[in-house]
Amino acid sequence: MLSVALITFAGLVALCLAMEKHFGELLKRKPKPGQLPALRWAGWALLVLSLILAVNIRGLAFGLVEWFALVMAGLTLWVFGLPYQPRLLLGLALVSMLLGPVLAALGV
Amino acid sequence: MKEGFRQAMAWLHTWTGLLFGWLLFAIFLTGTLSYFKDEITHWSQPEVQRHQLDPAASLGLAKRYLQSNAATAGSWFIRLPSDREPALSVSWRDPNATGRRGFISHELDARSGERVEVRDSRGGDFFYRFHFQLQMPHPWGRWLATFCALIMLLGLVTGIITHKKIFKEFFTFRPGKGQRSWLDGHNAIGVLVLPFHLMISYSSLLLFMYMVMPASIMAAYKGDSDSYFSELFGRDDAPKAAGVAAPLTDLPALYAKVQTIVPGARIGYLQIANPGDSNAQVTVTQAAADHVAYQRSANWTFDGVSGALLSQGEPESAAMMTSFTIAGLHMGNFAGPWLRWLYFVFGVAGTAVIGTGLVMWLGKRQLKHAKSGRLPFELRLVEVLNIASMSGLLLGVAGFFWANRLLPVGMQGRADWEINVFFLAWALSPLHALLRPGRKAWGEQLALGALAFAGLPLLNALVTGHGLDQSIARGDWAMAGFDLTALGTGLFLAWAAGKMLRTPNVQAKRAPRAAKAASTTAEVN
Repeated sequence: MLSVALITFAGLVALCLAMEKHFGELLKRKPKPGQLPALRWAGWALLVLSLILAVNIRGLAFGLVEWFALVMAGLTLWVFGLPYQPRLLLGLALVSMLLGPVLAALGV
Repeated sequence: MKEGFRQAMAWLHTWTGLLFGWLLFAIFLTGTLSYFKDEITHWSQPEVQRHQLDPAASLGLAKRYLQSNAATAGSWFIRLPSDREPALSVSWRDPNATGRRGFISHELDARSGERVEVRDSRGGDFFYRFHFQLQMPHPWGRWLATFCALIMLLGLVTGIITHKKIFKEFFTFRPGKGQRSWLDGHNAIGVLVLPFHLMISYSSLLLFMYMVMPASIMAAYKGDSDSYFSELFGRDDAPKAAGVAAPLTDLPALYAKVQTIVPGARIGYLQIANPGDSNAQVTVTQAAADHVAYQRSANWTFDGVSGALLSQGEPESAAMMTSFTIAGLHMGNFAGPWLRWLYFVFGVAGTAVIGTGLVMWLGKRQLKHAKSGRLPFELRLVEVLNIASMSGLLLGVAGFFWANRLLPVGMQGRADWEINVFFLAWALSPLHALLRPGRKAWGEQLALGALAFAGLPLLNALVTGHGLDQSIARGDWAMAGFDLTALGTGLFLAWAAGKMLRTPNVQAKRAPRAAKAASTTAEVN
């Protein structure tokens, strides 16, 4: 389930960055044209992917419940951690993006 | 028109939130603790040692104990130890007693099968019962708790309608800005954990549906609600004893049989009717931890002499499965360690939504009186009730655990005295809050709470020898987790107390900060 947690987290962060206000605040630059919609698509795609992965690993009932829990936990961590440790959380999102699929391939 | 509707919803949110917030806070906090009900019970009865789980061996031990101590009883009940609760519990009805009395329950050591003399304590069950019965006579507590669940659901819906920028500010939390930050925090924990909040309050209504909306049940079962329950929970009719002695079948062998039917199934409990009689029957029920849904169909009934499989629980209908799933989601029996922790965190989030709401209600109205420095009676009343319902309850919880460790083990009515201490500590909180100015009262009670919670691991180590060094070395994570959580709670309360006590002059601080908050709000908008 760690892979699901990481991919979910990466998806949530992509959706947050897809908002102009947050993109500017966090990355300290203006988004290029097309970047925001791309992030939005990527975010939703990652969320759907992680849900499929969760159901695959844990079955429908457990997969659904655990996926919801991970989404809520990821959001809470991101939103309440952001004012205090933005760089750390952005780093975590990057690591999630890279490590998540690797772990998924390994079946963790 | 639309603004008028939103204002009406905001009004409803504000006032139902205030009136029921105090009680809802207590329900949510004790309900959150209930996610660790078994672990709290384990901490409350440290006499029970944790061992490696070995269900088949445990069954053999339980059978041996029951045969030598309850051979004449008409029925036995065995609850197997789990990852969360290490005791092997056996119970039976004293054949010479009638009615509710005469139900005897002993805790056994899961390795030796010997009885463990545990201290008299309700443990986690107290908080669990309190969160829906509120220590009131039946059925009033359940009614009130269910009504509170309805108010919570109403609060969520009206809150969403009132929240103008639910999507625009979805990821927004701006700390250090006074009222603005409280509102951000209140909204963010409400919205981000919304699926949990909705599930909890909706399922609470469903759990007591038979009470809230009995009409459909009464109609379908022709006024006989007992037959509704026996159909719902499959209360099976045990056969009559034949009066012919016959040896009871081998229980570990039945465990092995269940393992061939459902590989890897964890067993919750066994009911044995007419043990030692030729009409004996054994029902094995799978642990609730194995399914998301709170289902009762996962059981197998065996002949108590030959060990042959007699029947299997009927699978639930789709409608029943739906409501059992919602009930199961509420209780979270299926949750393993990490998901259980998330349940706990979300429960704390729900408690925090209510708490921040109460604080904001007062904070907004206090601003008007910041200059004069005197609160009108009704605001002072809300202030005292806020303090009592939040820091006072925390002191009550801490008091319960201190009483658990300090009351003499052999004391008469010991379990009741733990509860008395809980209510006494809680009741002292409003008295203290009446005597002290608001911010001081908050700070002092939170500081006392910090000491009380952070002191629990120390107290535990001193009086039981199950301190952190011991429990971690033994791998007893239920015990260690309790102590670490108490320590964490203590540190959090110390931080909160420090915030409250550091600015002794409220009036001088409040006004400029409020002005600053107003200007930053204007900038942001």
